[in-house]
Amino acid sequence: MGGMAGTLTPQREATEEQHGDARAHPDRPWITIVWDDPINLMSYVTHVFMTVFGYPKPKAEKLMLDVHHRGRAVVSSGTQERMELDVHTLHGYGLWATLEQQT
Amino acid sequence: MRLTGRKGRLVLGLDAAETQLLTTLIDELEVLVDEDESGDRVLERLNPAAYRDDPDAEAEYRALTQASLRTQRVDRMAACRAELVRSGPVDLTDPDARERWLQVLNDLRLALGTRLGVTPDGEPQLDRRDPAARQWMVYSWLTDVQEALVQSLLP
Repeated sequence: MGGMAGTLTPQREATEEQHGDARAHPDRPWITIVWDDPINLMSYVTHVFMTVFGYPKPKAEKLMLDVHHRGRAVVSSGTQERMELDVHTLHGYGLWATLEQQT
Repeated sequence: MRLTGRKGRLVLGLDAAETQLLTTLIDELEVLVDEDESGDRVLERLNPAAYRDDPDAEAEYRALTQASLRTQRVDRMAACRAELVRSGPVDLTDPDARERWLQVLNDLRLALGTRLGVTPDGEPQLDRRDPAARQWMVYSWLTDVQEALVQSLLP
């Protein structure tokens, strides 16, 4: 037990030292964010989340309502390459999507 | 416009004026997308930045994706227009055709809505003689068509 604590502690310190530089954290996941806009229909956005991500209707609707009421929602997470693909697909559907590394 | 679903088939019925209107809107957007004049508000809305705070990553991303996004849009518009030229009802039974029509209708709404400056407050009160009043009518009609179509697809 004591040995495990000893190996964990230095790693935590190293993480804190690098905080603030996203590029220094290759392991931190990337996220795709969809932003609210006044043109896309709520039903259409729900449909897109179901079609693109295969989310069941309740999850797709919850994400759509988050976009609508909070102005944005994280709709997927993973590698940077995967998120670029998701953003590209969502742009093809006319949604306002961006990607960034999770802080 | 009439969307009818029967015996597993889904058909969008359009009259001659509606067919003509959609054809014209598609023609106009196709020219805009194809010319790709940077700085145009509609194109900025159709191709928003993927990286908000990283101009280098954004430039790299754009270089890789812009051509395919443009081709995708132009191809779907061409396919939809070809179905309009046949001047009968549009058959939306095939899931790919439905998805394509949904995307094209949405692109048209995004283009027109951006030009009109649509806000969350909805339609402004306009005099019927105001040229923008007709544009708002078209926008509202596109919205009705898209809403009917998407509702028919949601479980």
